[in-house]
Amino acid sequence: MRTLYLALKYLAVTLWSGFVIFPFLWMLTTSFKTANGVTGGATWLPWLQYQPSLGGWQSLFGGAGGVNIVRPYLNSLVVTLSGSAIALILGTLAAYGLSRFSFRAGPIRNGDITFFFISQRIMPPIVLAIPFFLMLRWLGLLDSLPGLILIYVALLMPIAVWVMVDFFNTIPRGLDEMAWMDGCPPVTTFLRVILPNVMPGLVVAGMFCLIFGWNDFFFAFTLTFTKTQLLPVSIVALNSSVTPWWALSAAAIVSVAPLAVLAFVVERFLSRGGLAGAVR
Amino acid sequence: MLVLRDLSLTEGGVPHLAAVSVEAEPGRMTTLLGRTGAGKTTLLRAVAGLVQPQSGQISLAGNDWSRLPPWRRPVAMVTQQFINYPHLSVLDNVAFPLIRRGEPREAAREAAAAMLGRVGLAQMTGRRPAALSGGQQQRVAIARALVKRAPVLLLDEPFVNLDYKLREGLREELAELLRSQSDTVVLYATTDPREALQMGDCTVLMAEGRVLQAGPPRAVFGAPATLEAARVVNDPPINLLAAEITQSGLVLDHLGPQSPGATGRALPPGRYTLGLRAEDIRSGGPLPARVALTEVSGSETVTHLMAGAQPLVMLERAVTDHRLGSELGLMLDLGKALVFGADGALILKGASHG
Amino acid sequence: MYRQKYIFLLPGLLVLVAVILFPLIFTIRVSFSSWDVYNPGLNNAGGAMYARLWDDSRYWEALWRLSLLSLSTVLIQYVLGFALALLVWRDIAARRFLRVLFLVPMMTTPVVMSVIWRTIFHESLGPLNPILEALGIGAQPWLSQATHAFAAVMIVEIWQWTPFMFLLLLAGLLSLPSEPFLAARVDGAGPVRTFLSVTFPMMGAISVGAILIRAIEASKIMETVYVLTSGGPGTATETVSYYIYIRGMRDFQIGYAAALSLTYLVIMAVALTLIAKALIRLMVREARA
Repeated sequence: MRTLYLALKYLAVTLWSGFVIFPFLWMLTTSFKTANGVTGGATWLPWLQYQPSLGGWQSLFGGAGGVNIVRPYLNSLVVTLSGSAIALILGTLAAYGLSRFSFRAGPIRNGDITFFFISQRIMPPIVLAIPFFLMLRWLGLLDSLPGLILIYVALLMPIAVWVMVDFFNTIPRGLDEMAWMDGCPPVTTFLRVILPNVMPGLVVAGMFCLIFGWNDFFFAFTLTFTKTQLLPVSIVALNSSVTPWWALSAAAIVSVAPLAVLAFVVERFLSRGGLAGAVR
Repeated sequence: MLVLRDLSLTEGGVPHLAAVSVEAEPGRMTTLLGRTGAGKTTLLRAVAGLVQPQSGQISLAGNDWSRLPPWRRPVAMVTQQFINYPHLSVLDNVAFPLIRRGEPREAAREAAAAMLGRVGLAQMTGRRPAALSGGQQQRVAIARALVKRAPVLLLDEPFVNLDYKLREGLREELAELLRSQSDTVVLYATTDPREALQMGDCTVLMAEGRVLQAGPPRAVFGAPATLEAARVVNDPPINLLAAEITQSGLVLDHLGPQSPGATGRALPPGRYTLGLRAEDIRSGGPLPARVALTEVSGSETVTHLMAGAQPLVMLERAVTDHRLGSELGLMLDLGKALVFGADGALILKGASHG
Repeated sequence: MYRQKYIFLLPGLLVLVAVILFPLIFTIRVSFSSWDVYNPGLNNAGGAMYARLWDDSRYWEALWRLSLLSLSTVLIQYVLGFALALLVWRDIAARRFLRVLFLVPMMTTPVVMSVIWRTIFHESLGPLNPILEALGIGAQPWLSQATHAFAAVMIVEIWQWTPFMFLLLLAGLLSLPSEPFLAARVDGAGPVRTFLSVTFPMMGAISVGAILIRAIEASKIMETVYVLTSGGPGTATETVSYYIYIRGMRDFQIGYAAALSLTYLVIMAVALTLIAKALIRLMVREARA
């Protein structure tokens, strides 16, 4: 009975692991193929089943049969990093304000403002796409990095507010008050006393911003055309051409690899119980 | 002199402060004595600027504080909970207020180290507060409050969450430290009458957001102005005996007629309440009473009894073991009783205590 | 007194109001115009766009398809995510490695992985059909048949987002107190009974939260569809978002797309609120039982 239970357990883990790894292995092996290697049917083992080549990888830097992704990669980095950073700063400030002071405007209270921030995540992207499009056109920021950064800031800030309000609420107010009495005005209190004590929260919030920013396709797709291409858009563009799978796979790997590393960070927080508060 | 005038603060219909006026002199300790919820903490927070009274004035040496935010008020506070900066070492915790005030880092650290030495934490300066015991954490908080040499020091039941032994030790340390800061106004909030009696130069009795009485501790304890004040200043609680004086003499509602002149002086006929301190009841007398509960604390014994329908509390300065349910004969020293009129005001102080 | 408090709240609030609230309000105005390629700009069309939408069967079919797709994938994700969280919760070899592995898919860019999945589902060159043939199931017309294409979208969604469910549920499991489990062991309860009477009831709140978050996200499905099937074959996998995208960004019927978007937003908000209420009621009843 016990052995059967154990066997089932490990079987289940193995099956799911296989499912998870499958696309990664496939794109890894495909990235070393040539046109012959692809059209010959599905193969997995280099040298035994197909002749490996670095053609797919070279095409990423302007080689034949692919798209140069250096530029889109840098664009993606700039938009994601600056968008996340600004969203994190504004979101953390707002979350601290909402957790510490009371605001009221007519019938509106703190809880309503917090809900207004967080409820932005409920909005389907397509609902926002049309107003964003019209607004950026009006501002002359369509197809530009600053325009995308502005949009990303608005989209990512609610995530930062959502995570940080919870973290600030775990810090006793007595700490702020003690700092005030030690001569710190609110901004100094925030920077010198509160911020150093919510570093885990900043890491979690920053990570979520990076994930959602880097992984966005829809807004990058609808708000840019030719001048400013982001990485996911240029990869999807490869998809619709004659489909050089090798270049596609190589590009997918370099696109997906940096964030996959974040899984280790998340797991460390998980094991230390750092996420339990953020989840509730 | 710190002057609080007519401070009022009502929140959600609950009066936290109701026209509170207090004057506190530098170099002396003013204790705020009252039960939990009496408004002591709110008063201290109002002085620090952490809550804003709806009316009234706060001023120090003639300077109006009412519109100053907390970070502009020269105050230091120690609260019940041990609050320290978790991300700073013990030394940096104590140096923090000095550095924020613009003092050079090195000088601030030296002053902090010296203050930590005085509260007996010279060995702990490198640790984080979380690595210390509760008593040590509170001493860090006290050191941080004292190192500023702020003209106003607010202590909100600073020892209540500590065990008995530690409390005694810290109380002495604190008194010692305060003697060296003779230009400081100290407000000390406590629920423990004995602490107020021992430590304070001036006692302010509070209940339900009001000041009941203020004055030197001996005067306040010896002659609480009202029944309510008498309840606040006595621990164990004072015995309240409903009484009537008729033509024939003093009659207690539950214990019957007493010898004439038991209260020491003739009073006009009418309804009264006698306040008899727990230490003014002794065993070895004629009044039969049954033991309901006995608590021994230190070298004292507090016994709760029922004499017929009258609950009584007796304090003996010895460790005695009264069995539950056993019968004792009590002696009530009514000559020492405080006599309150029907309106609750003190009429007769009773014979003085030795 | 604390005038400085506005320094914290206002910058973020202003960005949100300027970038999201104003454009959204503008959309309401746009939805009462017939803005398109031929009549660009704001005009007054009254409720014409809403009347058109009422008779647009393609829209309502997409809405029904979206409900089916999102509810079924979220439920499957919940069951799988819970099972996986239980598997790597305690005593299992290489626990931390498995946790990392199970988390990886949610970190990857959905469209990029969808592009890869499209090669996997390729009927003649992809690796999936040879495996199915070897197992004796036979090759499947993955992206050219309606039901198969629907299943393919589901598989990709499950691969991508079960890890998110897993993350929330595992975080919940790891934060549970240990006393009830000791008590259950003392009572001699086996793994199944411990799960039913101890673990599952204590995970009620977190389950509701996780399902809701995922349901919100799933109601937006469109990128996977765009890359894998472009809504096809025909309109067999077209979701609401994708249909609005076609009308608005491809046909440039801005006014009509605005009306579609707002209707969609209201329907989704109502539906998700009802789901939230139902789940919470279910949880309360479960807790009482």
